[in-house]
Amino acid sequence: MNAIMTSEEMPQVAAPTAEREDLLRVDNVSLSFGGVKAITDISFDIKKGEIRAIIGPNGAGKTSMLNVINGFYHPQVGTITWQGQVRRKMKPYEAASQGIARTFQNVALFRGMTTLDNIMSGRSLKMRKNFFWQMMWYGPAREEEIEHRKKVEEIIDFLEIQAIRKTPVGRLPYGLQKRVELGRALAMEPDLLLLDEPMAGMNLEEKADMSRFILDVNQEFGTTIALIEHDMGVVMDLSDRVVVLDYGKKIADGPPEEVQASQAVIDAYLGVSH
Amino acid sequence: MLYDIFIDPFVQMVTMPDFFLQVLWEGFVTGILYALIALGFVLIFKASGVFNFAQGIMVVFAGLTLVGLHEHGIPAYLALLLTIVVMGILAYGIERVVMRPLVNQPDIILLMATIGLTYFLVGFGEFVFGGEPKQMIAEQLGLPTGSTAFEMGERGLVILQHIDIAAALIAIIMVTALAIFFNKTRIGRALRAVADDHQAALSVGISLNQIWAIVWFAAGLVALATGIMWGARSDVSFALEIVAFKALPVLILGGFTSIPGAIIGGLIIGFGEKIGEIYWGGLVGGGIESWLAYIIALIFLLFRPQGLFGEKIIERV
Repeated sequence: MNAIMTSEEMPQVAAPTAEREDLLRVDNVSLSFGGVKAITDISFDIKKGEIRAIIGPNGAGKTSMLNVINGFYHPQVGTITWQGQVRRKMKPYEAASQGIARTFQNVALFRGMTTLDNIMSGRSLKMRKNFFWQMMWYGPAREEEIEHRKKVEEIIDFLEIQAIRKTPVGRLPYGLQKRVELGRALAMEPDLLLLDEPMAGMNLEEKADMSRFILDVNQEFGTTIALIEHDMGVVMDLSDRVVVLDYGKKIADGPPEEVQASQAVIDAYLGVSH
Repeated sequence: MLYDIFIDPFVQMVTMPDFFLQVLWEGFVTGILYALIALGFVLIFKASGVFNFAQGIMVVFAGLTLVGLHEHGIPAYLALLLTIVVMGILAYGIERVVMRPLVNQPDIILLMATIGLTYFLVGFGEFVFGGEPKQMIAEQLGLPTGSTAFEMGERGLVILQHIDIAAALIAIIMVTALAIFFNKTRIGRALRAVADDHQAALSVGISLNQIWAIVWFAAGLVALATGIMWGARSDVSFALEIVAFKALPVLILGGFTSIPGAIIGGLIIGFGEKIGEIYWGGLVGGGIESWLAYIIALIFLLFRPQGLFGEKIIERV
């Protein structure tokens, strides 16, 4: 097994972001499936307005961590503090309504629906006119629909996907599907955006585009972002702070340069025998 | 023999056009009713991937509730309203007791659960309303009775039952309303979203529980409409449940996920059945109506396994 690092050995958080307010804190979270431990005693925080990367080799527990944050998994031990409120369990529905949006590692779009409808579905929680008007598709429900369409069109412009508005997403190339998925998450106007490998399987040009969108979202809308990514170049360029997982444990946490230099991280990636 | 199969039926169609039209009309009405039943299956299959074995018994249950309430002296329209409420409670109950605990289980387990539900509803229905066939209260509900005969000059006449015309109209209105609901509203969009990807739907804050309850309620309403229409043509009894399985070939034809598919499939089966029975049935001693639908469906399966409008089965390697 890999060596467990004591907290003194872990790189410490850099000054500027550290002073910001916590948006989310994870304290001593452990998650297991039967006898398999996916996450063991992990703690870290996400500050308001930062881009936080979660990296680590395959099977390190990164996606499990995102699933814990947005309520797909419920950790057996530990607490999550979201905007000052402590919780152990949360349903995905609640996470979404409290401002956590996400994308998935293997694009999870509504394949039969158009780009427009997919992004509109991100507005579900914001649309609250009652069932009766919905049935009639008349009056208030219709006005509401039009109002939300405007917002969705803005997102479509922002992501430069006007040309595929009416295309069923199942037919789109992979890179564009990822972009639509980002659009759907943005339509929720989230406080925290979780991106699970937003650039997996993309070519260089697509990666550059996606990086630009992520930075813009962060800077223009002030959205806090937590992302999982394997492309180290991208991680180092984008993120303010990086947390590194290996075998479900945290092995480093800090600004990119510091993490990059950490011996534990290098060992984890190069596969040094423990 | 060859003459009987390939020529004689068509000669008959041409020489007796009034009779042929009558057969077509019968086929149309049966087809529409099959389509209504199939629609109930499609709604639930689309939103949850569950083949709802209990759809047939829901038709019977809705019909029995309506008639039973009326027998207890409740006015017809109030009974209709109460039945809708009962179907709502049933939908909520099914979501709570059957769907929610079984979420993410393999499809076969959900299918078994709906089979269990079928037998529960059979027992419960018999317990509350008794096992005897009941007369549908069509007249009290304001459904038209009687018939109109259309003369075709020298050629004879075609008789249309008013109740059949009403059935066709109601079916068309329901289908249109459902299509608009699915395509134009937030809840409709959420329904399609759930059908496509559960996890993604959850991540944008769609509540699966709410959607499932709505879908089962919609299927309950369709079952009620079907129960009234079928009931008015024969009577309301547990035998209706068997008729509901005529929806299977319809679904195979139309595809399990397509509303237009259910309609076209229903019409093909309806027409095919009636025309086959009248013009070709005699060759094998009649009675082919009960199995011809399955043969038509099997032939279709050979060429379009996903149905006429079903989602294409594409396997990427």
